[in-house]
Amino acid sequence: MGKKKQKIILPPELPPEIPDDEVEVSDEDLQFVKENLGYASLLSSLDTHSITKHVTRVADAKDDALEELYEKRLRKNALKKEKEETGLQVDRVDALPIKALDGTLHYRTATKAVSENDPSEEGTGEDISKEHGIVKLTKAEKRAKLKKMKKEEKKQGKVVAKAEVEETPQAAVLAEVKEDLTAEEAFENKKCKLAELGNALLTDPESNIKFLKEMVQISRDNDPTIVKLGLLSLLAVFKDIIPGYRIRLPTEKELEMKVSKIVRKMRYYESTLLSAYKAYLQRLVILEKKPSFQLVAVRCICSLLDAHPHFNFRESLLDATVRNICSTNEAIRKICCSTIKSLFTNEGKHGGETTVEAVRLIADHVKANNCQLHPDSIDVFLSLAFDEDLVKSKKIEEDQKLKNKKGKKRKNMEASNQLVENDRKKSRQEMISKTRDEVEADYKAASFALDVMEKRQMQTETLSAVFETYFRILKHTMQSIGARPEANPGLLSASVESFPLLAPCLNGLAKFSHLIDLDFMGDLMNHLKVLASGSSNSGNSSDKCSKCLTVSERLQCCIVAFKVMRNNLDALNVDLQDFFVHLYNLVLEYRPGRDQGEVLAETFKIMLCDDKQHDMQKTAAFIKRLATFSLSIGSADSMAALVTVRHLLQKNVKCRNLLENDIGGGSVSGTVPKYQPYSTDPNLSGALASVLWELNLLSRHYHPAISTMASGISTMNTAHNQVILTKSSPQQAFKEMSLDQQLCFTQSGSLKLNNKKRRMNGPASSSSPTVTTSFDDNELHRKLNSHFMLLHDIKENERLRKELDWTALSLQLYEQYKKQKRRSKPSK
Amino acid sequence: MRPLDETETSAVFEKLFKFVGNNLKSIVENPSHEGPDSNPGRYCFRLHKNRIFYASESLVKRATNVARPNLVSLGTCIGKYTHGGNFHLTVQALNLLAANAKHKVWLKPQSEMSFLYGNHVLKSALGRITDNIAPGDGVVVFSMADVPLGFGVAAKSTQDCRKLDPNGIVVLHQADVGEYLRMEDEL
Repeated sequence: MGKKKQKIILPPELPPEIPDDEVEVSDEDLQFVKENLGYASLLSSLDTHSITKHVTRVADAKDDALEELYEKRLRKNALKKEKEETGLQVDRVDALPIKALDGTLHYRTATKAVSENDPSEEGTGEDISKEHGIVKLTKAEKRAKLKKMKKEEKKQGKVVAKAEVEETPQAAVLAEVKEDLTAEEAFENKKCKLAELGNALLTDPESNIKFLKEMVQISRDNDPTIVKLGLLSLLAVFKDIIPGYRIRLPTEKELEMKVSKIVRKMRYYESTLLSAYKAYLQRLVILEKKPSFQLVAVRCICSLLDAHPHFNFRESLLDATVRNICSTNEAIRKICCSTIKSLFTNEGKHGGETTVEAVRLIADHVKANNCQLHPDSIDVFLSLAFDEDLVKSKKIEEDQKLKNKKGKKRKNMEASNQLVENDRKKSRQEMISKTRDEVEADYKAASFALDVMEKRQMQTETLSAVFETYFRILKHTMQSIGARPEANPGLLSASVESFPLLAPCLNGLAKFSHLIDLDFMGDLMNHLKVLASGSSNSGNSSDKCSKCLTVSERLQCCIVAFKVMRNNLDALNVDLQDFFVHLYNLVLEYRPGRDQGEVLAETFKIMLCDDKQHDMQKTAAFIKRLATFSLSIGSADSMAALVTVRHLLQKNVKCRNLLENDIGGGSVSGTVPKYQPYSTDPNLSGALASVLWELNLLSRHYHPAISTMASGISTMNTAHNQVILTKSSPQQAFKEMSLDQQLCFTQSGSLKLNNKKRRMNGPASSSSPTVTTSFDDNELHRKLNSHFMLLHDIKENERLRKELDWTALSLQLYEQYKKQKRRSKPSK
Repeated sequence: MRPLDETETSAVFEKLFKFVGNNLKSIVENPSHEGPDSNPGRYCFRLHKNRIFYASESLVKRATNVARPNLVSLGTCIGKYTHGGNFHLTVQALNLLAANAKHKVWLKPQSEMSFLYGNHVLKSALGRITDNIAPGDGVVVFSMADVPLGFGVAAKSTQDCRKLDPNGIVVLHQADVGEYLRMEDEL
């Protein structure tokens, strides 16, 4: 910036220097003038006129007040320069052009004006920062303000500089400067006023409540910074003074009634507060739609909603928050999400009503946007908490009531039998019960605890809204899957389009699976089944659709289905055969890099390890497939698979004849006499007729843990009473292994140590690890060298081929061109 | 002994389809390993004396040597035509169905006997049940140890089973292995 300014300033500086130099005219110059008289005449005639005019005019302007002022300010500036080094650029410019005439002068006045204002600005900044001390935004705010101020200064500097270049008459420039000054002063004044008002309101809100209107007025200013400051300071004030109850404006009847002074004052206070709050909210809602104010407005809305979810007009607040929950702006989205989460978790603040409203609004939002939102907007539901005790306690109460009724009946019977002699006793009892009821009613009215019934009502509403959303997402996914292959299979974008809400939706379903109504269950399971299979119709469309849903998503569908079933059906044990079929096929589609191994491990855990009973056929098929699968994937995944295999073999003694060396077949393997590795149904694969030869290969795995595990499994049959020490789940195994891998990459030395230890422990692990350790560096180096040489050669080869193709192509083109020319010539 | 005509085939296949669904394909295309023939034939259906038999092609070829009145049985008998002209599956088809069953029900050990005496399967007897059974589907009944016990027709869907009271009927009895003892003569 400084350079630019100097460049701009330079041209006016140059012309006045020339007349100064007239004294020192060299001989050569004289000679030149003598020789070319023509030039000299021109020069003299032009120069004298313009320059003298110029100088005199400037001098006139200078004489009166400006020079004095300027000198004073110079001194001041010099002092300040010592103190603060922030405004360096401006100071430099000040120091340099002292000699020059017009441009520099104006510049000085402007900078001085700014520097003069500095102390006051600082003061206001401090004031405001005091205010914001409550909001805890001080440092960032201060910095932002400083930046803004600097920018403004620079802008002003620019404007003034331009003015100089144009060489406008002095008066106009002065007026402009004055305007700037007044604008800045106004800015400062407003800031000060805001601070004062805010302070006054905070110290004594009841007597100073009318200041609110002024503050709102200020926040309607044209200057964006003032508006922002106004909004933020209003936020701080409102946060502090909003009462802990909802304000109900008095009706006309109530207004007519005579009331005491205090009540009147209170009413006035409340109504002013409410109207100001309303105006403020309206302003916020308007500003929230403007991109430049959006962040500030949303922040205000969210913190208000967070602090006072019970207060009036929370509907508009909620509405704005939910609207912004899927905003493209990361910061805004985060703020909104955290606000809504805190709404859900701190239900005590608003008694749960806001939760219901928020959930409803989000559900409507999802509906309106046709499920194309950011996943965060649904993730919010995960922080909802439902009180399960409510339902139970209600039931217990009902039971008690029933018992009481029975008891009463019995008592009545007894009473009728015992005649009316104890009438007095009865009346006394009645009295007692009556008073007890009254006391209870009073207690309920006094304590703010909500009625159990009301709470239940709200919970059911919330739940229904949440599940409505979830089911809508599922349905939408289903529909789009079903419609896609028919609509336009060739379109790439369609298959690329993903379902952003599906993953959080499945998570939510898994979390709240115990709360799903049994009536929905059938539909839900059907949907999940279709999603897990990845296509609505079997056959050729399946491979197209498998692109739409990733493997991990489909695995997650299986998990959710199992969780739903398990949580709801303790009484009836339902066998989810279809999901097993899907898992059986999904294992083949799994790719270690692309899909999430954690999900796969979790699926193994939930579907295969936790389930109590399995068909022998199915189990054998899974054992066989997992063993095959673990041959071809990374160590962590294969470890998870092997843990599952071991678990299955431990549970199902019959399946251990997979470990025998002779092929089973016959009656053992059912009707399928031969193992069919490509069958899609685990029940028909005939895996019992096969042998787990994979374990033998796996026991030579490069990873020591896997090799020991594999050899442990293969000896399971012979060592009958073997106590299995590690009872880890596939998930744990996966985690450990993936951690292990990371460690291996960082320090390969430790692996060797581990290796040795494991060799000591595991007797079965044979010489395979020694091979890895015995590699010496030289050999490795040599091999890598040759490998890379080969790679390099291949690359070179490819490049040469490409070049050859190019030249051939260009030759061809040239020939064609020639031919065309020849043809065109004869035609002409 | 003769191959089935069109109506008979459709009747048999429809009945089987209720139990095995799409696995019917594997029943029909099941390669046989019987006999000394070098290339394995397939299994086929044959009608003989109102009974439907499931036998390998090599066996059928050899059975042609026996005169019709003298031939009692070949392969597995899977059902019979009643006097009314309806096709019924018999217990002997159980193995075939169990291997390819789509809908299964597992019985609790204490209620196995009740089923083997020819009673329907009650809700209280259910140890396990496969998902999405619709009423009218064919269901194969297993013991908890995965031994096939018989088959029947679902009276209620899996969803309805949840709300059913313990004495409600889930599977209507059609055949069970107890018939080998009870109705030895008829089989």
